[in-house]
Amino acid sequence: MIVRDMESNGGAPSQAGIEGTALAVRGLRKVFQRPAVDDLSLDIRRGEFYALLGPNGAGKTTTLRMVAGLMKPDAGSIAIFGVDALAKPTAAKQITAWVSDEPMIYDKLTPLEYLAFVAGLWGVDPKLGEASARDLLRWLELAPNAEERCEGFSKGMRQKVALAGALVHDPRLIILDEPLTGLDARAARLVKDVLLEKVRQGCTVIMTTHILEVAERMAERIGVISRGKLIAEGTLDELRRQAGSKVGDNSLEDVFLTLVAGEEPTP
Amino acid sequence: MSNAAASPRSLLWLARQENRLSWRDLVWLMTAGYRWRGRSVVIWLFIVAVVMHVIAWGMVARYAGISLGAGIDALIAISGSFALAFFLMLSQALEQVTRLFYGRGDLDLLKSSPVSLRRVLGLRVLSVATSTCTMTVFVAGPFINVLAVLGGARWLSGYGVAIAGGLAASGIALVLTSALFDLMGARRTRLAAQIVAAVIGSAFIIAIQVVAIVSIGTMSQTAFFHSETVLAHAPDADSLLWLPARAILGDAVALTVVLVIGGAMFMVPVLLLAGRLGDYALAAASADVALGRGNRVGFTSIFLGRFRATSAARLLRRKEWVLLLRDPWLASQSLMQLLYLIPPAIFLWRSYGAAQGALIVLAPVLTMAAGQLGGGLAWLAVSGEDAPDLIASAPITERRMILAKIQSVLLAIMLVFTPFLVAMAAQSIEIAAIVAVGIALASTSSTLIQVWFRSQAKRRYFRRRQTSSRIATFAEAFSSVAWAGTAAIAAGGSWLALGPTVMALLILTGAWLIRPK
Repeated sequence: MIVRDMESNGGAPSQAGIEGTALAVRGLRKVFQRPAVDDLSLDIRRGEFYALLGPNGAGKTTTLRMVAGLMKPDAGSIAIFGVDALAKPTAAKQITAWVSDEPMIYDKLTPLEYLAFVAGLWGVDPKLGEASARDLLRWLELAPNAEERCEGFSKGMRQKVALAGALVHDPRLIILDEPLTGLDARAARLVKDVLLEKVRQGCTVIMTTHILEVAERMAERIGVISRGKLIAEGTLDELRRQAGSKVGDNSLEDVFLTLVAGEEPTP
Repeated sequence: MSNAAASPRSLLWLARQENRLSWRDLVWLMTAGYRWRGRSVVIWLFIVAVVMHVIAWGMVARYAGISLGAGIDALIAISGSFALAFFLMLSQALEQVTRLFYGRGDLDLLKSSPVSLRRVLGLRVLSVATSTCTMTVFVAGPFINVLAVLGGARWLSGYGVAIAGGLAASGIALVLTSALFDLMGARRTRLAAQIVAAVIGSAFIIAIQVVAIVSIGTMSQTAFFHSETVLAHAPDADSLLWLPARAILGDAVALTVVLVIGGAMFMVPVLLLAGRLGDYALAAASADVALGRGNRVGFTSIFLGRFRATSAARLLRRKEWVLLLRDPWLASQSLMQLLYLIPPAIFLWRSYGAAQGALIVLAPVLTMAAGQLGGGLAWLAVSGEDAPDLIASAPITERRMILAKIQSVLLAIMLVFTPFLVAMAAQSIEIAAIVAVGIALASTSSTLIQVWFRSQAKRRYFRRRQTSSRIATFAEAFSSVAWAGTAAIAAGGSWLALGPTVMALLILTGAWLIRPK
């Protein structure tokens, strides 16, 4: 797939960035009525599947929205493959894709038209874009609906169209906020398979989820965020160690609840 | 727990629930969900009431002395005004009745409950009648009050006529909706009803203007009602056609008859059709699920091509046009304003080769229409973006994105108004040029105001866009009026056109200064 020349967009990822960290977040801060994200730092390696967990209102979505360029932080820095996402947002967005829990697609467009539109926004060559779109729709089992308008689609179908939109421009970093919410088992499995395949192809994925089993099975590393701060990070074994001896060899759910309970305000 | 008195599922219990929902909907409509706006809404309502009474005073004070023995010309004028109001009521009632069946809201909950759907929908039709009557009374109230103060309490019978009109309009709306369900099926009824509602709302005034142009060569309906042509064709003073007019003038017998007829026109359809309301609601729900299945690419792709543009700006423009053309409801809502261009078009055609005075009349009409159409389209393109995250996460700057959307609006305006300008240019290039500038300024101003006051919303809230920012609504309306004034005076060849120009610029400056940062 041909991606628009980075230089023409005013910024290029550095070689060091390409070879090292996919996403580097430093001292990120965002305050609404209270701090939603508070001095958060994060490093995600290239080709890594990273899950960001946390209770409701912990600051996960706010963090990811800032990384995706949908929201400006009050302080801190974000580098995506070495590109300063705050100084050169267009260059950073060129290699990034965003998928939210609520699939935002155009009801009046067909999946094929939607993907052609998204590919165009990212500057993908139309012919390559169409070929890629058809491949993705086949992969996501949407080929029979490729030329039907999205207005009658179920939540799962809409989410798959949105995911196809995120992949059609061949991003290097995919940011997903609760992408499995409301999907049936088959659709959820398909989305998970697609994401794991993209990671195998070298893509970096960062995802929030409330389904801890998904994080446990798919993620190489897990970050736990509470009240805007990263309180624990690592592989499942590392998290178990951080949680202490009480959790033993128990599941991520036990580890998560132990970690988060330690951060709860005392009554 | 005020509902404690009424047993659950009783008619009274359901009515209270309906009232609560209607009241909260009305409050939301006025406050846009902001509680703190409550007090300012009350102050605004008071100011609006005062202003409406002042306007009413200026418009109808001289008619307060008209008595029951008035001549046929007075009966024609009163009946014409009533007919105009009635068509507007009917349009509103039709839209509300349609919403009863297609509004998702709590309908699924009610359908899944053991409550009689027939009873619930019957009650909701009654609430449609109530809201139609309330709206009519609200609009007609200042005029009736002024007439009553100056001409005596007999004019208060106007309220009775307004209520009878609201009831009759709701009954007719129910019959029309039912006929559409039976004739066109649930899937097409929604759109058809909305288009019929919009056409009915504008049909009377457009028809009167068209007849006035053809018969007496003017667009003024007031002049038409007083013309010899109408007087010659009007029925005798004792005709039943004048019953509403006589009732408004205080004839107690006529008022009683009008109220009985209005009540019957509402009650008979409700009783006859009540048994089918539940079926319509279920059919509408099925149609909603089936929507889009098999709805393949249509003519829009043929006309607008595929999404293969070479630039993001061109893609965004194309996307806006495709989305608008493929959404018949939105297209009908925004383009319905073009119906009001039919009389000017006929006027232009009829006055071809006549004096330039005819063209000057059209200058403000076209400029105003461009401003209003531009505002609506700009709201859809800028605020009514269905995938804001996608656009925000795309590698294009916000400035380029906004610019592309503005271009999509202005190009659409250009497409609509070019035929008018070409026809005008055939008669006077100078006036056509002035009107072209007026159209460009009015539509650009409305578009800029929508950009400055943009706030993300679902496209389906298009009809309620005014509630999100009243400042934007007023600024858009007043700037369109000011540019229309500029175009009219400039087309007349006077330097006084600078007056409304300055006013328009001041409005724009003010809007820019107080725009949300």
